[in-house]
Amino acid sequence: MARPGTEELRRRNRAALLEQLHRHGPQTRAELTEALGLNRSTIATIATDLAESGHIQETTGRSTGSAGRPSTLVECVPKAESVAAVEIRADRVRFALFGLGGEVLERAESPLLTGVEGPAAAEAAAALVGGSGAEAVAAVPGLVDAGAVAHSTELGWTGRDVAADLAAATSREWRVVDTATAAAVGEWSRGDAHDATRLLYLHGGRGLTAGLVVEGRAQRGGSIQLGHIVVEPGGLACACGLRGCLEAEMEAFGYAEDIESATAAAGMGDAAARDGLRRSGEDLGRALGAVVTATGPDEILFGGWLRELYLSAAAPVRSALAETTLPHLRSRLRLRTPVLGEEGPLIGAAETGFAALIDRMR
Amino acid sequence: MLLELTGLSKRFGPVEVLSDVDLSIDAGEVCALVGDNGAGKSTLVKCVAGIHAIDGGSISVNDEVRAISGPRDAAALGIEVVYQDLALCDNLDVVENLFLGREKVRGLVLDDDAMEQLAAETLSSLAVRTIRNLRQPVASLSGGQRQTVAIAKAVLWNSRLVILDEPTAALGVAQTRQVLELIRRLADQGLAVLYISHNLNDVFAVADRIAALYLGRMAAVLDAADATQSQVVELITSGRSGTLGLGADTNGART
Repeated sequence: MARPGTEELRRRNRAALLEQLHRHGPQTRAELTEALGLNRSTIATIATDLAESGHIQETTGRSTGSAGRPSTLVECVPKAESVAAVEIRADRVRFALFGLGGEVLERAESPLLTGVEGPAAAEAAAALVGGSGAEAVAAVPGLVDAGAVAHSTELGWTGRDVAADLAAATSREWRVVDTATAAAVGEWSRGDAHDATRLLYLHGGRGLTAGLVVEGRAQRGGSIQLGHIVVEPGGLACACGLRGCLEAEMEAFGYAEDIESATAAAGMGDAAARDGLRRSGEDLGRALGAVVTATGPDEILFGGWLRELYLSAAAPVRSALAETTLPHLRSRLRLRTPVLGEEGPLIGAAETGFAALIDRMR
Repeated sequence: MLLELTGLSKRFGPVEVLSDVDLSIDAGEVCALVGDNGAGKSTLVKCVAGIHAIDGGSISVNDEVRAISGPRDAAALGIEVVYQDLALCDNLDVVENLFLGREKVRGLVLDDDAMEQLAAETLSSLAVRTIRNLRQPVASLSGGQRQTVAIAKAVLWNSRLVILDEPTAALGVAQTRQVLELIRRLADQGLAVLYISHNLNDVFAVADRIAALYLGRMAAVLDAADATQSQVVELITSGRSGTLGLGADTNGART
């Protein structure tokens, strides 16, 4: 096997250093040396190199509290590289431009009409994004595979090639991920879920979707149609054509509109609201049991309005989950709520773009 | 084990309030303590906190048997109790409350900047975004925010075990959610949490293990991942559920 050439090694080290700074924020040269396992002089050479290309800068930063000269911090220059992230929802398109290191450089959103078609949504996104960012990533709620949306309850789309729509509207290349997967990437890289090897994010919007990421990276096939797992054979009719889907049985649309009043009513003792919440919790737990058995995650995050539902109905959710999963799968499973909230999908979409960007530098 | 109670007993005159109670809590986990009124939950907390002297059994902290003869002993061992009626001073601001009794000084004056910075760091490490102004008096805070301040105090003072006695009892739905997330985050940061609650939803939302007391005896300690709501209800109301609980072979001890 041929050893990698000096030029190639250097390129890889540059990418590794930039990734380290992008992910973990400003650090001293000593910390970088430690984290990357490279020689001090190598770090110095790459740092000079990256400083010349405008990617990083050195600042006289934090004092350590002890006597002596404060150590010099290396940090990325946010504007040096940027990624445009877009989240498409039923009623609006949100856009944020993220700089290196995760800083938000720009932010905008525009409303969408209900029942909007793919090309029209792409036009709205194009108007916000323009040519900004070295990478453009869109988060779309639904079952997404290779840039196409196979099915989205929230948007009412079936078999829509969103990447092509966006490319046509903006004449540039797009990456398309599903909202739940994007949020999972976000929570893993910038939230609290970094310890999760297999992280499952549940997204409650007008539909219910889930996304599985492994070591913080989106997987093909990791987009899961949680809302269309049948929890009650022969049950209520669902918009998708099946009967007894989780979405239909939970009456998810109502929760998406107003989860606060439903949980508040239950909290104040309204018997009907309590009963509804309990049944919804059981249905969710049962559907999750199937997903956990199939995918074996070690952490589940309840996002969107599922956060409120889980915290108000955790007893039925976990009881149903305990009754439908194997002991070795549930014993190491952590159930948590996300820390990034609404921002998760946008942050995750941007991180997907940065991962591609840094991979390209290697 | 961070905290281990072995054969703990407590009597008030002829009444045995706690009888031969075993319970252990590890760092990084939330152990919920449930039970009916009068089951002995508060008495157990007060024994660990050093308010009541114990009549039998032992309390170990970090695998060492300790005599806890007062709240000061408990605090020295890193045990912090947050009571239902929060011990906060209404006329002081958030920072002053967090550091009350342990103020940082620089020379002869208070080091306000350092305290404010440390308070801000602590709150942000707990992902608390509900308290914007650290200099507002505690009297102006909502119930959920007050609870947050009381809990954050425990983290700031490097406690290892935080005991929360019905922290969500007086809160609305939205505030309860925030406090539940905060409790979970405390444990995820490596603290041990003993969480007392009547509300099974709240218990299931955050607990790793659920300990059910029944008439002063430990009916069972379950892994929350294996427990169902109906099991826990049975343990609370009758002390047994199926093969679990009092009268069964294990007698509630954790195997």
